[in-house]
Amino acid sequence: MSIITISREFGSGGEAVARLVSQKTGFLLINKDSIARGLAEHGIEPPGEGLEDLDLEQDEAARSYIEATHEYIYDLAIRNDLVILGRGGSILFKDYPPALHVRIIAQFTRRVQRVMKTYDLNSDTAVKLVKEKDRNMIRYYRQVFDVNWNNLRLYNLVLNTEIMELEDVADIIVGAYRIHAEPREIKDAPPKPEIEDSVFATPAENETEHFMHSSEEEFAHMLDFYRIRWEYEPRTFLLEWDSEGNVVEAFSPDFYLPDQALFIELTTQKPKQAWKKNRKIRRMNELYPHINVKLIDKRGFESLLKKHSIDQEQDDRRDDYEDEGEET
Amino acid sequence: MSDQKFYGEDQLKIIFTREQIEEKINELGKNISEDYADKDLIMVGVLRGSTYFLVDLTRKMQIPFAIDFISISHYSEQTDSTGVVRITKDLDLSVSGKHVLIVEDIVDTGLSLGYLLRNIKTRNPAGLKVCTLLNVEARRIVDVPVDYKGFDIPNIFVVGYGLDYNENYRNLQFIAEFNRPQ
Repeated sequence: MSIITISREFGSGGEAVARLVSQKTGFLLINKDSIARGLAEHGIEPPGEGLEDLDLEQDEAARSYIEATHEYIYDLAIRNDLVILGRGGSILFKDYPPALHVRIIAQFTRRVQRVMKTYDLNSDTAVKLVKEKDRNMIRYYRQVFDVNWNNLRLYNLVLNTEIMELEDVADIIVGAYRIHAEPREIKDAPPKPEIEDSVFATPAENETEHFMHSSEEEFAHMLDFYRIRWEYEPRTFLLEWDSEGNVVEAFSPDFYLPDQALFIELTTQKPKQAWKKNRKIRRMNELYPHINVKLIDKRGFESLLKKHSIDQEQDDRRDDYEDEGEET
Repeated sequence: MSDQKFYGEDQLKIIFTREQIEEKINELGKNISEDYADKDLIMVGVLRGSTYFLVDLTRKMQIPFAIDFISISHYSEQTDSTGVVRITKDLDLSVSGKHVLIVEDIVDTGLSLGYLLRNIKTRNPAGLKVCTLLNVEARRIVDVPVDYKGFDIPNIFVVGYGLDYNENYRNLQFIAEFNRPQ
């Protein structure tokens, strides 16, 4: 029973990587479709079109289908060496130390470009598709496992396909698996530290967040204080394309509050310097009218923190300095 | 009466006079009395800003009711950045089965009110509504219901009639925009 789990962002090339890893290792590749076929042979049919669209709290049939999926995977793992693509493999086998858990990522724009090419789509459709897949994944992991899909601590190895050929990515995974798995047979495994955040991880507890700006960190602290769930820069919206369909402008709002379905962009720039962000938000409202996005400007941010103090002048100078390095 | 007042360096521009506030509170008292006739009402003042408003509002009520107070910690008042909101003065009365009306001086982000609503909801009141003197929709982050409101104001910093700047100006009988020239 050898296990490599591969979780991938849609459009990152992770599916092709999983296929290559399966070929190189001889492990059996299983994914959503092959699991569905396997279950169908036992007379178990999925309750609806897309499991990701179902509300598991309400839907008993969907819950039991997902349970059957997990049983099926565990059952296969006893008799086979597996490459498991998606389906929460890293969580299902988190307590099995020899397993290697891999995540394949790439920048949003690169993923959109790959999807356009692979499926011959225009950029609009590709953007929509990638975003929808991302949303579905987050929802599926939250509903089924109560974890944040974007928590990279669920994985042993995170690989970005932007800078490598997929073949090389697969070689790295196979190499990593051998290094990871082989020493265990000849010596005792070192004691594993408890991975406390592998379950019930909220983004706020996730130390992998690296804020671009001190005001963002403070805003995150404030949301934590009031026990509001948040995600940091979870999505990128494409705003402009050139005549060949290449993305020339994109926008990643700083925060997403899932309970409010609200994106928030913070700026501590003075109003006359914040016009670029205002323009981006206007453009976003045109292109994505169903998405709620809000700009909190310098004045709004200060009033949030009730920072009407005598230190304000000092803060202003510091903010001006910090804003010079901010994305435009 | 000029609408500009100076207190040392601080510059206050009156936006609601005592008379305007009084008139609005009369109206609110009447509406709330009508809506809660025959209901077991507890009016909950959120300390400290709402005290003046609560006192004047309850004087205009034409039905029986109980008064209680609640207070929570605020992000701006904590000394480090790792804490979470907590209740610093809890209700003395049980609200189970009663109709609760939370009385606020101002609702802006909705963050603290959102917490209060979530907290009080767990105590099974028969009803839970919100009355605020001032509402700043432009600053809203969390959606909160505002059932009764005095005035909508833009994103400005205001003092007076319970609202403070570093604990000052609560006792002003008007509401003013606050500015401290730099």
